[in-house]
Amino acid sequence: MGKVIVITSGKGGVGKTTSTANLGTALAMIERTVVIIDADVGLRNLDVVMGLESRVVYTSMDVIEKRCDLDKALVKDRRVEDLMLLAASQRNRKDDIKPEQMQEICEKLKQEYDFVLIDSPAGIEQGFHNAAAGADEAIIVTTPDVSAIRDADRIIGLLQHQGINSINLVLNRLSPTLVKNGNMMGKNEVLDILNIDLLGVVPEDTGVIASTNRGVPLVHSEGSPGAEAYMRIARRMTGQRIPIPEMQEENFFANLLNWFSRNK
Amino acid sequence: MENPIVKLRGYKDGLHLIINPKVSLNEVEAAIHELLDGMNQPLAGTSINIDMRPSPLSSEDLKNLETYLTENYDLVVSGVNVFDEKDESPILAAPATHSISQSLTNDNQPDFEQSQIVRQTIRSGQTTSCLSGSVVIYGDVNPGGEVVAAGDIIVLGALRGNAHAGVHGRLSSVIIAMELVPLQLQIGSYMNRPPVGQKPRGYPEIARVGAEDIIIVEEFIKF
Repeated sequence: MGKVIVITSGKGGVGKTTSTANLGTALAMIERTVVIIDADVGLRNLDVVMGLESRVVYTSMDVIEKRCDLDKALVKDRRVEDLMLLAASQRNRKDDIKPEQMQEICEKLKQEYDFVLIDSPAGIEQGFHNAAAGADEAIIVTTPDVSAIRDADRIIGLLQHQGINSINLVLNRLSPTLVKNGNMMGKNEVLDILNIDLLGVVPEDTGVIASTNRGVPLVHSEGSPGAEAYMRIARRMTGQRIPIPEMQEENFFANLLNWFSRNK
Repeated sequence: MENPIVKLRGYKDGLHLIINPKVSLNEVEAAIHELLDGMNQPLAGTSINIDMRPSPLSSEDLKNLETYLTENYDLVVSGVNVFDEKDESPILAAPATHSISQSLTNDNQPDFEQSQIVRQTIRSGQTTSCLSGSVVIYGDVNPGGEVVAAGDIIVLGALRGNAHAGVHGRLSSVIIAMELVPLQLQIGSYMNRPPVGQKPRGYPEIARVGAEDIIIVEEFIKF
């Protein structure tokens, strides 16, 4: 029996879809069976980020309205085995789906797959409630700025109210240089306010833009800092204990010192 | 025209009903009737303190008196102050410091009996209110979160949101937090907010209504 995890944030543009695509891909790369669900009905784009847009034939709406079987609506990823996408309908609106219908889909999928990741829409309205309805756990994605953190805090309250108590944080787009100069909130400051467990920190990585536009999740570009961070998060999701590295500035001397202290 | 049995006085922390020591409950009620009915201004909804020296009225009598005030005049009794017998100074010389607050519904118990303990962080969009007493929070109050209490508010964490103590008008209410960096503070009808960009000071702080009728914040050492 698998786990259903909703990936949400409250605020838009903080990296929910990017995180869903990358974590889904990363989990499949370490040999887990995964379904990623786009819950952003009417504004779908998980299929675009995954580069699967042209392969979407049926959507979750077709499953709900019994125009096709659930298995038939799942789109197979073109790069990794055991990764499936359930796309959202672009023609419908968020209130066309009821939370119970979403719950039913999640119940069925978690019988067969290890991980079911749900990409939640921004906001706290019907779309968010649908996305969270079938979830056992939640991953909050936030960037280190006050408005995103305020919204994340609100979302955590709503999730707890709904009875979801396993809530973990992914801190996205952290720039070590800005933190050091005092122009960005650091990891500890964010954790101090949100008071939930940290699943991982993804550094600011311009590679994300290119990978999104090409429709190839970042985790495929080995060696990029963002890809490595997502791989570590995926391993932690499978229960492996991997420490969260302290973010290092891109600085020759700092790296050199670090190298010496490691080889002592 | 002074009433010999009860007097009504307005002080910084609200209205005080001062009861002459050597009278019975019936006399007090009759005197209140005479006093309040003779007033031009209706007092309905106002909160009121009762001040007296020890043992003029039993706690039974006090309960009856509270019911009498609530039912007939729609007054909210926010506190009872019993003054030391040896203290020869006029009863209201220094009400805030000499008083012993006593609850009407719990004999000789401080009013924390009806208070509430919250064992979680109050997040953005969430409200905790206790309209019968004080609130103690084992956690933080985050920006966008709100705590409302008839009595005091004590946050054993960081207060970063809004807090309104003494919501029925008890101006002796205080707000205490381990880290006091709120968006807004209110005590009774007074409001204040810290300067923009206020950083946590690293020690517990207490907010109360000060002498100039403004909310002042200082390091919390003890009550």
